Amino acid sequence: MLARSILRKALALPFEQTPSSTTLFRATLSTTTSTSTQSPNPETPLSASPRAEFNDPTQQQHQPPVTPSAAIRSASTPYTTPNTSSHIPIHKQPLPPTFESPLKVTSSLLELLPHLVAQRSHYITAHVHAKPYLVTAGDHLRLPFLMANVQPGDVIRLNRASVIGSRDFTLKGKPYIDERMFECRARVVGVDSEPMRYKEKTKRRQRHVRTIKSKERYTMLRIMDVKVKTEEELVKEGAVVVEGQDQATLEVKS
Amino acid sequence: MPVQGIRTVAAARNGVGAFILPCKRMDFHYCDWAGSSRGMVSFLRSALPSFAKANPQIEIRVSPRPHKHPVVKGHYINGREKAICVRNLEPEQIFNKANLLKEASGEKLKRTKKPVTSINDSVRGIWSPYHGDIKTV
Repeated sequence: MLARSILRKALALPFEQTPSSTTLFRATLSTTTSTSTQSPNPETPLSASPRAEFNDPTQQQHQPPVTPSAAIRSASTPYTTPNTSSHIPIHKQPLPPTFESPLKVTSSLLELLPHLVAQRSHYITAHVHAKPYLVTAGDHLRLPFLMANVQPGDVIRLNRASVIGSRDFTLKGKPYIDERMFECRARVVGVDSEPMRYKEKTKRRQRHVRTIKSKERYTMLRIMDVKVKTEEELVKEGAVVVEGQDQATLEVKS
Repeated sequence: MPVQGIRTVAAARNGVGAFILPCKRMDFHYCDWAGSSRGMVSFLRSALPSFAKANPQIEIRVSPRPHKHPVVKGHYINGREKAICVRNLEPEQIFNKANLLKEASGEKLKRTKKPVTSINDSVRGIWSPYHGDIKTV
């Protein structure tokens, strides 16, 4: 359980990146979601979509598409945001998941899914090391442990969630939602520490008092986006519509 | 005059879009004469160039501070600074202290019990006793 809920470190972005003209240009091009287009998120390597077909990370490498935005970026700014997996070093690439079967969704879930997607501002109950954290996009999350092998600026993807919801709709997993149905990214902001703790240890009938000190360190995350995939995206990524019992249920607030 | 809503300015949340490392500057103070600076001097000679090269977003200043213990100071984008005295420390220990200052947020250390801090409005709204159906127990 612990090992399977380990997050995948995806990539480190350059620190000096600014929302330059390239991101604005991209925002005008696509009109799907407002939150994901305005932020310079890397999209392809962190989405779970094409990885379901390939278990070998070397097969995923493909040439970046030559777009006007890419041409502008290379001309104007020296710092580039890695948008495809070919820009990212091998050791920083996300681990491919081992999905045996394509995602199965019921038609009843697909009926309500557009309502959930359209109602903006979602919350998600993401689980890290089996502990739930109810977060929305932009929240600050201080994990109760020091995460290994991450640097400030790294983007990780929270791939285990039990609940995703909007104001009136709730998608509940049994017990977890399939990670191919949503995207939740967080950025490692830094390492925080608590003030020094002093604890006095005494033994009976002894005058000696031992003072122990402890100072824990915690990894801080910033939730970048919470996105529920639309029906078209799910079908494009190979989801199969089935009848009967589903792995997740979508409920309307009564 | 038409009614105008209150204009709000978006609060800066570092890391949602662009990310800037909170540590913007680090000062390394040493003394050429004192023995407590021996580890610091060897750190400055050996490890500091690679540390500065690995962290190009941090401004690094090295200056002597005669007849005083060696100090590493970090300056942060929230205006605060953190100083660590590194007297009699080995170069590896000083490297760890410099890494600590690099990753810190610059905030004063606080004990917090809640893991999530949010400035967003509640997604599901605030419960009201005057709305909704009467629930049967």
